[in-house]
Amino acid sequence: MLDLRRLAAVWPAVVAAVGAAGLLLLGLSIAGVDPGEAALTAWRGAFGSWSRLAVTASEAVPLVLCGLGAALALRSGTWNIGLEGQCLLGMVAAIAVLVTMPPGAAACAVGLLAGALAGAAWCGIAVALERTRGVPLVLSTILLNTVAAMLLGALVQGPLQASGSAAPETAVVPEASRLAMLASPLHVGAVLAVILAVVSWLVQQRTVLGFELTVAGRNPEAARFAGIPVGLRTLQAALGSGALAGLAGAVQVAGVTWFVSDGARSWGYAGIAVALLARLHPLGVVLSALFFAGLAVGARALERRMEVPHDLGVIAQGLAVAAVLLAGALAARKRT
Amino acid sequence: MLTLSGIHKQFDTAVALDGADLSVTAGTVHGLLGENGAGKSTLMKVLFGLLRPDAGSMTLSGQAYRPHSPRDAAGHGIGMVHQHFTLAPTLSVRDNCVLAAGRGLGLIDQHAWDRRILALGERLSWPLDPDAMVGSLAVGQQQRVEIAKALLAAGVDASGPLTGRMLILDEPTAVLTPPEVEELLPAVRRLAEAGTTVLFISHKLPEVLRICDALTVLRGGRTVYTGQTLGMDAEHLADLMVGAGRPGAAGRGAGAAVDAPVRLSVQALQVPGALHQVTFQVRAGEVVGIAGVDGNGQRELVRAILGLQADATGTIDTPSLPANQRLRGPHRIGVIPDDRQREALVLDLPLSENLALGDHRDSPLACAGWLLPAAWRLHAQDLVHRFGVRVPAGDVLAGALSGGNQQRAVVARALHGGPGLVVAVNPTRGLDIAASADVLGRLASARSLGTGVLLVHHDLDELLGISDRVLVLYGGVLVDSGWPSCERSVIGRLMMGLPAHA
Amino acid sequence: MNDWLVVILLAQALVAATPLVLAGLGELVAERSGVLNIGIEGLVLAGCLAGFATAAATGHPWLAFAAAIGTGSLLALAFGLMTVYARCDQIVSGLALNLVIIGGTGTAWSVMQTHGLTTMVPGSGFDRDWCGGWGVDLPLIGPLLFRQYGLTVVVAILALVTAWILARTRLGLIIRALGDEPDACAAAGVPVRRWRLLAVVGAGAAAGAAGAFLAIMRTNSFVPMMSGGLGFIVLALVMFGRWRVGWMISGCVLFGLADATQQHLQSQAGANRLPYQVWQVIPYATALIVLALMRRGRAGPRALGQPW
Repeated sequence: MLDLRRLAAVWPAVVAAVGAAGLLLLGLSIAGVDPGEAALTAWRGAFGSWSRLAVTASEAVPLVLCGLGAALALRSGTWNIGLEGQCLLGMVAAIAVLVTMPPGAAACAVGLLAGALAGAAWCGIAVALERTRGVPLVLSTILLNTVAAMLLGALVQGPLQASGSAAPETAVVPEASRLAMLASPLHVGAVLAVILAVVSWLVQQRTVLGFELTVAGRNPEAARFAGIPVGLRTLQAALGSGALAGLAGAVQVAGVTWFVSDGARSWGYAGIAVALLARLHPLGVVLSALFFAGLAVGARALERRMEVPHDLGVIAQGLAVAAVLLAGALAARKRT
Repeated sequence: MLTLSGIHKQFDTAVALDGADLSVTAGTVHGLLGENGAGKSTLMKVLFGLLRPDAGSMTLSGQAYRPHSPRDAAGHGIGMVHQHFTLAPTLSVRDNCVLAAGRGLGLIDQHAWDRRILALGERLSWPLDPDAMVGSLAVGQQQRVEIAKALLAAGVDASGPLTGRMLILDEPTAVLTPPEVEELLPAVRRLAEAGTTVLFISHKLPEVLRICDALTVLRGGRTVYTGQTLGMDAEHLADLMVGAGRPGAAGRGAGAAVDAPVRLSVQALQVPGALHQVTFQVRAGEVVGIAGVDGNGQRELVRAILGLQADATGTIDTPSLPANQRLRGPHRIGVIPDDRQREALVLDLPLSENLALGDHRDSPLACAGWLLPAAWRLHAQDLVHRFGVRVPAGDVLAGALSGGNQQRAVVARALHGGPGLVVAVNPTRGLDIAASADVLGRLASARSLGTGVLLVHHDLDELLGISDRVLVLYGGVLVDSGWPSCERSVIGRLMMGLPAHA
Repeated sequence: MNDWLVVILLAQALVAATPLVLAGLGELVAERSGVLNIGIEGLVLAGCLAGFATAAATGHPWLAFAAAIGTGSLLALAFGLMTVYARCDQIVSGLALNLVIIGGTGTAWSVMQTHGLTTMVPGSGFDRDWCGGWGVDLPLIGPLLFRQYGLTVVVAILALVTAWILARTRLGLIIRALGDEPDACAAAGVPVRRWRLLAVVGAGAAAGAAGAFLAIMRTNSFVPMMSGGLGFIVLALVMFGRWRVGWMISGCVLFGLADATQQHLQSQAGANRLPYQVWQVIPYATALIVLALMRRGRAGPRALGQPW
């Protein structure tokens, strides 16, 4: 069902992305940094050569997966802000499997699966709290994010700590259990992410399940009157989004870092930004993730070459989300 | 006292008022008549300061009157009671009055306000309890709070005169039961006799003829008649309101044949706090009407029949339709819900997807879990054509349709497959005469094809015009009124919980 | 008596509760008027940075507070314009706000580090003796009432004033009605959007001040992400208090007690056999458990989270 109207919905996202980048460059020029040089350095750092492209694409993989999870949740009307924590749980589960099972492709597959299940389970806790005790999902998922971070920190210093190491990090995943490399650091997980994006799109657009999820998200009452089991669908969407986030963490462990250490990550929140910029469209999520990854990698290059702090990338994420929101609000205004 | 001349108001391309005039004498009850879309609401909004007219003039007590806000209008002594109450149900009566009639941000003098409210209540012969939570009051009582609130905001004091004030009542009897209407109308006359001018907006001719001293009829944004009530008759007024001819009522059918199959059987239905031992049947080929004021269990009854009320106990049987196929499957119940925007349509989705909703799992719209988009387009075209839904070109969003066409779409979706049972709730809510007649006509056609129709409707006239049997729901208890062998007044009494015969 | 563990913990609880109550009062008023701001976490963090930076640069603590309040207000104004006037979704806007602030404070901190602005001028902080040291030795009420920061006393008074305004003045009535039935307010001639925006900006000011308290009173330092989830805890506490000032404060004090207890337990012998996260997680886990065990009582403002 591809038609002009849907294509035309893309322009706010593009405007938002360009606008956010533009604002940052403006800020840089005010701070005395040459915006042209900054833009060029960032662009080259992210997309300037095949090897840089591989770095950016690799960085985009967890963003694609978290973005798909966020899009799935948001489309069905579920406020899953807990992708962050679900991703961390996925990392924990994956590393636990990967360092304990005998090395090989089987361990890799099981590790990924364990990550997805762990993410789904962590989300399930929040959903259970909402359905049985009425705790709003927004609150419980946010609190569980912090709990997940602390859980990871404790495990990495405790049971999962690499023997003989004083640092809070786990053992390294044996080579046979890692995801194969396509072009270092881009790994096979990228293919998995793209496949999942296509599958998401097909399910959403072309299946009864996808249609029911969409209707349940937009108007649960009307969905009920049409015989759609709203409670079941939103549960499926929530668990699915948790699984995708968990998978994101597992893929990072099996494909890029090969061990887990205590430290801050932000794919979960970034995933929400990715999904919003893509207007919740699964294929758009791939492009949006590349954009955000490009921002991050470019910002790091900027830091190396021109001493500009890399947190600018995070500011860009926030500005992009705000821009998409405003564009959406403007469009809604025009309709009414 | 009040004169409006030549008021023009245009919204984009729609002309709402095209030179409307209104002239009201102080201390009288003046009726303003007209159908939906005639311009009554717009004229009132202009009078009350919510809208600025494009042209025309207004005078109040001989002086030019140009309000720029409702507060300003209230400052001139004009109060308005809207059709849809603007009360905060979680606040007390006193708080609602302070919110609307108070000034400034300072400390609330509770005793002073209580005195004002109680005194006003005494003057109107209505008991008003300042502490009561508005949400817990019956609709008729809430309306009294609305009126008191409007009067207080217009500057009526505990002991001061009610003269020099004007009260606009917008369709005040639309939400009341017949006994509550009997309480309101004399109170309105009392207000006028005490000196307050009342502007009574309604489309209910009998009431207007009863209590108004003079009246004005609007049609198409223009004044088509203004004059004394004495000597006017209902037929002439109706013609003035609607113009050329009126579509006939849908009419009663022959009723169900004696051996017609039972489509719906409800026995001892119990919903804690809402329904008590409800028992009735709907057979093929009949329309069973359920009369009653909103809030007496209708919502729970409909949801229980559809299987959406979790705490319902008792037996609900749809012979020839397994319980899990009531809302799914090709023979499912045709549902026309109460609130089309919140319970029937997804406004952000295209019309074709809305029309497919409910059929989207089955052939020909889907196959083994996959959707078939080409079939959806054909399905939508078929329904739009058969049921006369007026749509702009292309596949618009459901939200872009007018209210009447949205309802036609809902009716199309419910009736197109010739279901054995239809459950319709307030199917003509918010529709004009033509659209209402259309919808009721479709239900009557369905009946003649053998469908059993359960019609829950707040408009008693329309309900009586089409139902073969009428049951009354009050306080969760369902009673057979004996219609058509009983008087209309019997139904009114049952609706208020009074015994059928005095 | 003042050596008793209970007294020490309680006194510490009041200190910990101060920023919670401060930010909580602001968020409670904003939510009662119908706006849910999950960006409060970022606003607190912004207050931390602004307060610390000003204190480090100028050495004037009052100026630091003013800067923090101003920063919080400005950022909340942007959020308010987006959600109340442009009618953007409140949750997502809050997320965007958090992202922008996290990136912004990180950037600013990097810049500050390169310019050597990393420590506060000695003596530019506050001490825990708002009465100038008088009364700190009195039994029981000494440590509880007198060995506190001045801000704690200010916050206590602010709480009383807020509760009184909400319950007994037309201003409070307007705020309550805005969150339950904005249409009724509009019909009464109350400018709905203007008041909601004001409430949101006020909440931003309070959150900024709470952040400044963290930076220049409790810790005298700045660390990236030092707000540590305080904003999110406040959201939970407002809900726990069922949007009533009194209950919210008791929740804040209880939480402060849990925090003080956790810190105390960490410092005990044998505690370092467990990873420190086990102790740090106690307040969050407590918040979750309390929310889960709460009876499903009065729901929040009916129009909360919905653009008008």
